[in-house]
Amino acid sequence: MSLKVLTVDDSKTIRMIVKKAFRPYDCELFEGADGAEGLMLATQEKPDLIVLDITMPVMNGIEMLSKLKSEPDLKDIPVIMLTAESGKDNVMQIVKMGVKDYMVKPFKGEQLIERVTKLVKLESKKTGEASAGDSAGKYFSLDGDIQLLVLKEKATRQITAQVEVYLRSKIKDMIKSGMNKFIIDLSKMPEINMSLIKLIMVIIQDCRKAKFRIGVVGTTDLSNELKQFQETSGIPVNSTVEEAKAAFSS
Amino acid sequence: MKEINSLNLKGLAINALNNVFDMMLDMTVEISDADSQEIINGNKIVGSVSFVGDLMGNVSIHVGDTFARIMAAAMLGMEVEEIEGEEVNDVLGELSNMIGGDLKSRFCDIGFSCQLSIPSVTSGSDFKIESRDWMQRECFAFCYQQHTALVDVFIKSGG
Repeated sequence: MSLKVLTVDDSKTIRMIVKKAFRPYDCELFEGADGAEGLMLATQEKPDLIVLDITMPVMNGIEMLSKLKSEPDLKDIPVIMLTAESGKDNVMQIVKMGVKDYMVKPFKGEQLIERVTKLVKLESKKTGEASAGDSAGKYFSLDGDIQLLVLKEKATRQITAQVEVYLRSKIKDMIKSGMNKFIIDLSKMPEINMSLIKLIMVIIQDCRKAKFRIGVVGTTDLSNELKQFQETSGIPVNSTVEEAKAAFSS
Repeated sequence: MKEINSLNLKGLAINALNNVFDMMLDMTVEISDADSQEIINGNKIVGSVSFVGDLMGNVSIHVGDTFARIMAAAMLGMEVEEIEGEEVNDVLGELSNMIGGDLKSRFCDIGFSCQLSIPSVTSGSDFKIESRDWMQRECFAFCYQQHTALVDVFIKSGG
């Protein structure tokens, strides 16, 4: 069963950062924009964890926390407080309130996850259930003993993050079944942007680590673009999948 | 308690700025001697928070539209073209909140107890923010690649 996480922050930006941090894990995220909304969601959903901002309009995090602590059903839910203030007084106040942990903004999503794993067990999403109505099959398929990754849409950060999650489990599956050939087909990509280049670098790095043979299919523009980066400059770009497959046997 | 005038306000503000930009946006910014008027004139978005208590004041970050979108994209992990106006405002508000929060923490640690307001964001091309009766004010530009923005911070005694 998915872990229920409630994030309460008046800033949509912070809620998005928290959401993004939990994306690789099997979690159901609920969002509240202030303490009152947070309290209502906590009562309704009984989350397994609450990530709670302090400074918010309507009802601030401190008030919401004291109300949580007075509810027998909710008082034991672990709470991680978020605060922009790292002063001694502020930290002391947070500690006295009985929260499990706190994070001072600015923070990185990975730091939050590190704290969270000390309080609750996070499980990685299984391939195929990473997002409702979507699946790794949209991007990954098998062609004989070759793992094929086909990207056709503009590489947004969301798409590349999703592909990266699938990629890790695909690589594990390939190692288990003794496969070692990986083709990235980018011939239908509408445009080449930095998100795509970064994704290609990640794939190449992971494939090299796993000692896979890699083939890239794409346009001349992509080939020229890849030549500009040290990590990708040595990768030959084929114009068709057939050509890339043939290159494996040469 | 130290005197307000003896605070190294610029140093504290630069530390806060570097810390926030490095951590949240993966951007290494450099303090620039660019003419701040260039930033103030023209279309801009201003995120600001105020301090109230033993020490009163305000810190604001003034950013041109293009740079603001780049910041929002970096913070939200999106492409610049995907960014909408509401997201730009929210990111600017949050950045000013983090910079203000860092400053407020330093003020409190030194002995100037104060509270931080909720951030506010103003955007447009024909407005000017003026602060009066401040005891210390620092206004400096910073740049990232070819983009320049401005930090304006002023403080006075609240007693």
